[in-house]
Amino acid sequence: MPHSELMMLLLADARLPVAGHTQSGTLEGALANGLDPADVPAYLRTRLLGVTRVEAGTAVAARHAVVTGSEVVAVDRAWAVRTVSPALRDAARMQGQALLRLANRVWPASTNPLGEVPRPGRSTVLGTVAAHFDLGAASLARLVAYDDVQTVCAAALKLVPLDPVVVTGWVHDALAGVDEVVAAVADVREPEEIPAVSSPQIEAWAQAHAGTSRRLFRA
Amino acid sequence: MLTSTERSARTRLRVGVGEGGARCRVRSTVSLSDPTAASIRPVLVHHDTDRARVSLVPEGALLLAGDTIELDVTVDAGARLDLIEPGGTVAFDMRGGRASWSVLITLGPGAVLTWAGEPFVVSAGADVQRRTVVRMAPGAALALRESLVLGRYGEVPGTIRQQTEITLDRVPVLVEDLPLDPTSAPALLGGHRVVSSVLAIGTSFGGPAEDRYDLDHGGTLWRRLGVRAHEAQLPAAWDAAMAGAEDRL
Repeated sequence: MPHSELMMLLLADARLPVAGHTQSGTLEGALANGLDPADVPAYLRTRLLGVTRVEAGTAVAARHAVVTGSEVVAVDRAWAVRTVSPALRDAARMQGQALLRLANRVWPASTNPLGEVPRPGRSTVLGTVAAHFDLGAASLARLVAYDDVQTVCAAALKLVPLDPVVVTGWVHDALAGVDEVVAAVADVREPEEIPAVSSPQIEAWAQAHAGTSRRLFRA
Repeated sequence: MLTSTERSARTRLRVGVGEGGARCRVRSTVSLSDPTAASIRPVLVHHDTDRARVSLVPEGALLLAGDTIELDVTVDAGARLDLIEPGGTVAFDMRGGRASWSVLITLGPGAVLTWAGEPFVVSAGADVQRRTVVRMAPGAALALRESLVLGRYGEVPGTIRQQTEITLDRVPVLVEDLPLDPTSAPALLGGHRVVSSVLAIGTSFGGPAEDRYDLDHGGTLWRRLGVRAHEAQLPAAWDAAMAGAEDRL
């Protein structure tokens, strides 16, 4: 089995064919509904405080469920009841399907624990695959949070004329927030321990974006 | 000057269907840690065989540092309770102190609770832990209206951690945690200071498409953000939730 650090790099790579390019982390909806492009760094921090914390906690709980032989379906349900926006659930499930398709082909044994889960969210799938490759809980949380930051920043470059060097600085500045997410969720074990921080403004933007046909990103 | 000594008040309210065509039973007790503790007093406004309407009247100054308010509401099988509030609640500057506000709702099979909450204002300097736990039996229905205002007019937000946990037949249907303080409130609420919501679970389906979040395992949350309280009102959603409680699933 490859080294878990290599697997982490592989799973974090934007070139992974899991339709990552269709996602903006709700940035497109935010910009269309009043977020100032200069406030993207603050937007990154807000996500790490709310939605991303729920996602990272879900991945860690799914990993723990697989490692201990518990039911992953309870983790996915805990995530769904912590995600009030149907648009955010749909986006996460679409990404979950993409990752599941890839994992089923390349690492078929890794997805066995997902057998009974109908349309699992991306974090549930990612946590399950991570368990198969012995990725630690903290590394997994770091991966989810880092990926979220990069998703938003990559989308920002497509939506707003920005200097990629400046945006890389935004990514770097958001890493302290990534560390906070890791500290908050690395010890999550049971589904009820998954953070439930809601992000009312992001949820409203996600719903507004789902209802428009004029968009570059699905979510 | 107010001290930070903890004063607790526990209000229990229980409604059950009356036997043999009698009016429904409405029992309430208020227990105080000391005579100076502020509390919530349930005042019966109306009741008939299976339905009661109760106003939750604050007694004493609410909400101050050290206040621990507990509200335990039970609606037994087949009964209905409509809760109203005579006015909003203001959590005042606590100067380093804290207060808590905990609500535990237990709904029996086929029981209905509607709660028309008035604004809960978190003044600058307030620090409140506000927790709502609802345990619903199969066939129960809930319509809950809330409005959270971060800071009085022209004021910075206070601190509130608002937690909500709703289970239906012991399985969670909604778990939410809103940790708002002067830094996180502008971020999570996108610069707004008012967040209003209407939650309908176990009621018939319907209501406006605007501000609507259909939950994954049944039930709907309507939520609206505003800069001023009137901008965040959800009258159509509340009407739909109340009508849905009347004509439930």
